[in-house]
Amino acid sequence: MRTQETTGMFLYHPGNGHLDKLNFTELFAYSESHEDVAVVWDSKTFPLWDIEYLKSQIQKYKLSRIIIAGYDTGMVKPIFARVFSNLQLNVENILLEDFKEHGILESGNTELGKALLSCAIYNVALEDILPDEEKKVCTETLIIGAGIAGIQAALEIANANHKVHLIERTGTIGGHMAMFDKTFPTLDCAACILTPKMVEIGQHPSINLLTYSEVQSVTGTPGNFKVKVLQKARRVSLSKCIGCGSCAEKCPGKARSEFDVGTTFRKAIYIPFPQAVPNKYLIDAEACRYVQGKKCGVCVKNCPVPGCIDLDEKDSEIELCVGNIIIATGFKTFEATKLANYGYGSFPNVLTSLEFERLTNAAGPTEGKITFRTQNKKGDWIFSPQSDSPERVGIIHCVGSRDINHNQYCSRVCCMYSLKLAHLVKEKIPDAEVYEYYIDMRSFGKGYEAFYERIKSEGVHLLRGKPAEVRMDENNLIIRSEDIDGRRLLEQKVDMVILSVGLEPAAGSAEIAKLCGVTTDSDGWMDEANYVTSPVNTFAEGVLIAGLCQGPKDIPDTVAQASAAASEVLQHIVRTSMRKNIPELPLAEIRTRAKNLSLKMEDRK
Amino acid sequence: MSQRINPELKKELLKFGAKDWNDCYHCGNCTATCQLTEREILFPRKAIRQAQMGLTESLASNADPWLCYYCGDCSDTCPRDANPGEIMMTLRRYLTSVYDWTGFSGMLYKSAKAHIVVMLVLFLSVVAAFLIFGGPMITELTSDGGVRLNTFAPAEIIAGIDHIVLLTLSFFLLTNMINMYYKVVLKDKTVHIPWYLYFTEIGEALLNFGTQLRFSKCNKSRMYWFGHWFLMIGYVTMFVLIIFFLSWFQTDNINVWYHPQRLIGYIITAGFLFGTIFFMIGRIRKKKQIFKHSHHSDWIFVVLLFLVAFSGILIHIFRINGLPFATYYTYVAHLAFEIPMVVTFVAFSKWSHLAYRPLAIYFSNMKKKTRELQLKSKLSVSY
Ligand SMILES: Cc1cc2nc3c(=O)[nH]c(=O)nc-3n(C[C@H](O)[C@H](O)[C@H](O)COP(=O)(O)OP(=O)(O)OC[C@H]3O[C@@H](n4cnc5c(N)ncnc54)[C@H](O)[C@@H]3O)c2cc1C
Ligand code: SF4
Ligand code: SF4
Ligand code: SF4
Ligand code: SF4
Repeated sequence: MRTQETTGMFLYHPGNGHLDKLNFTELFAYSESHEDVAVVWDSKTFPLWDIEYLKSQIQKYKLSRIIIAGYDTGMVKPIFARVFSNLQLNVENILLEDFKEHGILESGNTELGKALLSCAIYNVALEDILPDEEKKVCTETLIIGAGIAGIQAALEIANANHKVHLIERTGTIGGHMAMFDKTFPTLDCAACILTPKMVEIGQHPSINLLTYSEVQSVTGTPGNFKVKVLQKARRVSLSKCIGCGSCAEKCPGKARSEFDVGTTFRKAIYIPFPQAVPNKYLIDAEACRYVQGKKCGVCVKNCPVPGCIDLDEKDSEIELCVGNIIIATGFKTFEATKLANYGYGSFPNVLTSLEFERLTNAAGPTEGKITFRTQNKKGDWIFSPQSDSPERVGIIHCVGSRDINHNQYCSRVCCMYSLKLAHLVKEKIPDAEVYEYYIDMRSFGKGYEAFYERIKSEGVHLLRGKPAEVRMDENNLIIRSEDIDGRRLLEQKVDMVILSVGLEPAAGSAEIAKLCGVTTDSDGWMDEANYVTSPVNTFAEGVLIAGLCQGPKDIPDTVAQASAAASEVLQHIVRTSMRKNIPELPLAEIRTRAKNLSLKMEDRK
Repeated sequence: MSQRINPELKKELLKFGAKDWNDCYHCGNCTATCQLTEREILFPRKAIRQAQMGLTESLASNADPWLCYYCGDCSDTCPRDANPGEIMMTLRRYLTSVYDWTGFSGMLYKSAKAHIVVMLVLFLSVVAAFLIFGGPMITELTSDGGVRLNTFAPAEIIAGIDHIVLLTLSFFLLTNMINMYYKVVLKDKTVHIPWYLYFTEIGEALLNFGTQLRFSKCNKSRMYWFGHWFLMIGYVTMFVLIIFFLSWFQTDNINVWYHPQRLIGYIITAGFLFGTIFFMIGRIRKKKQIFKHSHHSDWIFVVLLFLVAFSGILIHIFRINGLPFATYYTYVAHLAFEIPMVVTFVAFSKWSHLAYRPLAIYFSNMKKKTRELQLKSKLSVSY
């Protein structure tokens, strides 16, 4: 059939800069070099809006088939359709080849553009002409980061009976959510939702959990990535450890607990928190006396399982072959010491929100009692259940966010979690006064505005105005702000200040993005292929993003995105073929193969 | 209190120097950062709000911009880079034009061209006046070898002209001050100031005029406060010398170097030269917050002040070294720079803040006291 059609090519570039990276002159010349193309038009010089002219041109070249290639090609299709039906030509012979869908706009890969043009001219799909061995894809999936995003995606893929390698940098999975007591807006107990999922991950036959591990390199092609993973030595056997904790009892090594964001101490041999998955101990090499070259080994003596602790274990490296990668590396919180005017780091009872989450957590350092940070016998500042409780608490929003001097974006969750924290203070210390300082209250989600109203009705003082400073007199912290609604300058005395710090991409996420070929925006968040229509894909084929690594969001949105990423991976697995970013075949070969394939298809007809 | 919204206000204000009024998202950080705000005296955010909303009347009766000394703290920490400090500066220019019933001030501020043309006309008038009325240019020197400047430009006559200029400008400045009083106090119907406060509050306003102590409250600006205070003292001394003691100051005698006439002259001129060079470099470098944005009136002012001081010291050098023509010409130039500067800046531009700022403090304090009294009487009723 095709051989009877006369094809015209219309290269459409709307001049909005989207195609700037492609060499259009080359694409034009390449299109013209096809003997099966009667004419090539450039939208820049072709008076498309002159219908009569278009009609005369189509008649002149006796065209019966048109390929519109370029950007936003759907925009101009109606014009051709009108002329085609006018001339009683088959409208179905107007084909669109939109570069937007192939991720070549960003990469500026003109060669791939040419390959796509050849395929369009011969009406075949690029993946159909690739050699068989290149089509084979691996069905295993790599997930980097085991916060709620990584956990959710891993479970969904694994429950569809596909193998998942879940890599987590710390000693346990769970991410930030595991640190919280309650979650807004439902005030569900975070652990009650998360722990069952974590346990499921630990036991799932299709999930290969690699904690205390990091990705070293990613090579290969979409569908066939080779990934090198560094497994840091835990020095305690995952299979043998029974989690009894005898080893830690007399361990002399000490370090600040990462899980409690440094508000308490743990031993050198430790379990991150009681519900950690895997529920096994590990050794922090930097804090361990033996590893640091001193005499010790107390833990080995006290461990009831022979051969469980291997103080000399070395880091190891393994290699995986995976078809798809989901990045779910999450976030870190804004470094509050950057804002000297709020006194974090100088005044012990100015806390970050994350520290307060631990303080108020029933499984936290004070068993959920909200107390002052005090010095222990050695002079270290820690939270301890023996100290007094505050009577007046200030909460400051937008710390490091929406600020041209720091992060310009809104971190999106801090308004809501601040309200949650205000509620938790009121719940635990009913007589406490809570002063919450905000610029705008962003309660954007389902049920969120109702949550805001509820907190207001609980008697929290909600004050509009960004405080300029927190200072201290003998006994009080003083927050100075303009009370905008009250039309006065306010110097409020409080006992404790919580800084609602904003969110930033996790440490090391730039490196991960680079390894996987994913681009990031100016704030460091990973770029999705299309914010509206393709929020979990990236410009790197076969690499998906889920959760905070893409941008600030709350847990419900994180989970939704993780599910979307999982479904995308499952689609790829089912399709079992992937369109490659750059075919390894030379262009001439692609062209011949496309032509032969189209001839073959015609013969079959 | 209802008032009309003036949608053109923003456009109007832009001509007074600000860049953009819409960056501000009203977080209140600036008001809280400023060390000069008080429980009920809230700026700069409130004034920015009035400006954004086109509340011409509220702005006209708002004296807060005069309470700001432009330390720049608020601009440094503004999360939107909205430059609240510069907006206050712009509002001071705008308010100067609001108080000025002649409209001359607005013209000078809004158009650099107009300002320069006015300057040129005045400059040429002074030169012309000297050509027509100037005394003989004698080359014969005094016994100690100095130029006989007072023959060419007798101090009594120059002083007389000074007095006329001064009286005229005082008339404009005073009427403008009364206009300010009308706008800020009489038109503000929310407070009725009891008469005795007019007497009890005047002390602090005068003290502030003399010391600018309020300014020293600003966080990091002790140095800047001192510089500003020094400059102000310099202006005032120079003024007093020129207006009341010109014949003592503009003498043909060559006094010994430590004679007060020479010493005072040296100190003030050095201060002016140093100050203006410092400001010019600052405005070119744009490092400090207060120097980041320069309005044409700022430039015209420093350049003229520099020229006046520089020509002043040249006259002195030429005179005592017996160079008659150089002395006469620079003297003409000196006055031709000085008269336009005084005429345009004293009552209609920058310098008028010397009057408006203490007045604003005076009015603000009276209003504050009145409010406190009102609050007290309300409380005593409810008890
Ligand atoms: C104080 C506070 C309170 C909050 N309260 C709520 C709330 O009440 N309700 C709500 O809906 N949302 C809340 N949020 C938001 C919520 O924390 C996030 O939406 C959610 O945790 C995002 O999950 P995540 O898996 O994307 O990221 P994370 O939880 O950050 O998990 C990322 C995981 O990846 C690991 N990782 C990072 N880099 C690497 C790497 N290179 N290699 C291997 N592993 C890596 C990390 O160790 C971590 O385990 C709150 C946030 C904060 C800061
Ligand atoms: S060897 Fe290390 S981990 Fe074991 S008890 Fe000693 S310090 Fe602790
Ligand atoms: S969510 Fe609220 S507190 Fe957080 S940055 Fe946005 S506005 Fe500020
Ligand atoms: S000027 Fe800046 S600091 Fe002041 S209210 Fe506006 S945004 Fe906030
Ligand atoms: S510039 Fe300084 S004095 Fe003026 S409003 Fe800002 S902080 Fe206050």
